[in-house]
Amino acid sequence: MALLERARRGARWLLATRRRLFCGLALAGLAIALGGFLFAWTGAYNIAASRGHFAAVEHVLRFAMMQSVRARAPKEPVPDLADLSLVSLGAAHFEAGCAFCHGSPGRPISAAVRGMLPTPPDLSDLEGKWSDGELFWIVKHGIKYTGMPGWPELERDDEIWAVIAFLRRLPALDRAGYERLARGEVELAPGSGAEIAEGEAPADAAYACARCHGSGKPPRSELVPRLHGQPAAMLETALRGYASGERQSGIMQFAANGLSQDEIKRLAGYYAKLPPLPAPPIAADADAIARGGKLAREGDAERGIPACLSCHSGAALPNYPRLAGQPARYLAGQLRLWQRGLNQRSATGAIMAPVARRLSEADIAAVSAYFADIPPRQEAGR
Amino acid sequence: MRRFPLLLLALPIAACEGSQSALSPHGDEASRVALLSWILFAGAAAIFALVAGALLLAWRGPERARAALAQESTIRLGGLAFPIVTLTLLLGYGVWLMRGAGAGEQQPELRIDLIGEQWWWRVAYHGPDGRTVADANQIRIPVGREVEIQLSSADVIHSFWVPSLGGKTDMIPGRTNRQRLRAERPGIYGGQCAEYCGGPHALMSFEVIAMPPADFDAWLAGRAKPREAPATEERRRGQEVFMAAGCGSCHAIDGTAATGTIGPDLSRFGERRLLAAGALRNGSAEVARFIADTQGAKPGNLMPSFRNLDEAERTAIGVYLTGLK
Repeated sequence: MALLERARRGARWLLATRRRLFCGLALAGLAIALGGFLFAWTGAYNIAASRGHFAAVEHVLRFAMMQSVRARAPKEPVPDLADLSLVSLGAAHFEAGCAFCHGSPGRPISAAVRGMLPTPPDLSDLEGKWSDGELFWIVKHGIKYTGMPGWPELERDDEIWAVIAFLRRLPALDRAGYERLARGEVELAPGSGAEIAEGEAPADAAYACARCHGSGKPPRSELVPRLHGQPAAMLETALRGYASGERQSGIMQFAANGLSQDEIKRLAGYYAKLPPLPAPPIAADADAIARGGKLAREGDAERGIPACLSCHSGAALPNYPRLAGQPARYLAGQLRLWQRGLNQRSATGAIMAPVARRLSEADIAAVSAYFADIPPRQEAGR
Repeated sequence: MRRFPLLLLALPIAACEGSQSALSPHGDEASRVALLSWILFAGAAAIFALVAGALLLAWRGPERARAALAQESTIRLGGLAFPIVTLTLLLGYGVWLMRGAGAGEQQPELRIDLIGEQWWWRVAYHGPDGRTVADANQIRIPVGREVEIQLSSADVIHSFWVPSLGGKTDMIPGRTNRQRLRAERPGIYGGQCAEYCGGPHALMSFEVIAMPPADFDAWLAGRAKPREAPATEERRRGQEVFMAAGCGSCHAIDGTAATGTIGPDLSRFGERRLLAAGALRNGSAEVARFIADTQGAKPGNLMPSFRNLDEAERTAIGVYLTGLK
């Protein structure tokens, strides 16, 4: 009773004047800060990932994370996530960039990853947990304190949507279906015991270019360029641009910045010697193709648009790409990137950017259809 | 220090010497503009002295002078009648003096088309055989002949002004203005865009080369000759790079595959003393420098930098272009 009485008297004394109250609060704040510092300084807090959080802390952290994502996720309409070009591009990037931590069908996460706190979630049962926009926000920005990184190139929403399209497809995939989608023609033949022991088995084809760009076969996604038969100098320039971050693509920067100069040279030389592939047939009308052809051959001097073919044909410099036989969707996508102010820091991007900005949306559709429609020519050896 | 403001006053006058000055006229119209200017300057100086004298008298003068100044008739005479008469006379004289400016009644002996573009000058001569001869940033005229420059614009309002040869005429989109020039003696006269037209407006100049009529006729006739292939190995290499880099989609060089009309015609590039409409002196090293960093040399201009070309390729283009005559 005496204790209660003493507390009551103390409180009355503290509340008697405003000044006493402020001083009391300041002292309490100071004590809390000092206590916190002592807690950290003495090493009393156990930072071990192996130990996990208290259940209550875990709940609070999860609640705060979910509320934060929900508050920030975009509400705009999403692109068509059933689009196979989007899904297969997303799958191939998932294999290289995400599967190591999140696992993939038939391949559980490694023991090392299992020791992360929080353990990266299995993404095959996302149904109903997050909206498309929320998933997009998480993939784009990553999540603090969890090991989930943000997208390397924050301006490339189009690439992030490819990953979301794949994540929506993921629950329905078994191991074989996943591998077909994510690895394309890249087959992992089981190595012999000796090959596995000596590291000669193709244990990891996660970074293989052919998963997206094809090698013996054409690429499956219409959103990626066909590298077959492109001039080696152009391919080298592009890979160096991605590796240095001069060209903006989260997927290609991730793929290119581990390559050495020598690897870049050999890789470019390999694709340059492959026979060029025609683009998949498109549903463009003959009118658009004819308009695109006129623009490609003659340009439009009135609007300051030079003829595309003066730089993008066989006789041009080897550090310019040849566009014949490239998928229309890829070409249009690249032109729109320049219109949005991306890809203009590289030497060749700086030349193309002002030209692309003078094109209308109808021009883009027309020239893309035209180039997709003409058969490519062999440029190997340049 | 006290002399400093006087020095500042002297600066603009010193800058007016040379080939780009309204105060050193070398043409018909410029002479009349200069005469009118001097009459104005002298008259204004005299009137200023008169007013200053009157002010001094009114302030410190003897009683009689102050009384005379205060009379209503003085104000009527000096404040109303004098300016009305002087200004009317001046206006009449000015209109009479400048009556020949712009389009005259007589047919000009030569017509040259000039189109202002952001930020350069597109020139077209009409050769004796009816052929159009394209050039840029440099205008050749025969001495002593009346030349009509037909002025228009491809984008925004520019203004044509060769101070040593004539007055200033605006170039307005959708309209053709005419400016007659007659140079009295051979020489190179500077011209400048005289209406703010965006970013690099200050680097939009050109040169008028007045040459003896016989030389001019020979020059114009010589443009019809077929172009010879580049003479040296480096020029040949320069032409090859020029074509492969896509330069020909914006620039034309007659007699070659380069037929672009977006940028300046380069067929007679080697004859120009200036590069990029006066941003640089012309020379193969300057061309190489300009190609590598167009925005550094002329900030805001519409030609992209070609950093994808190496030093040797850029120099080869420079050697090729400066050899074009």
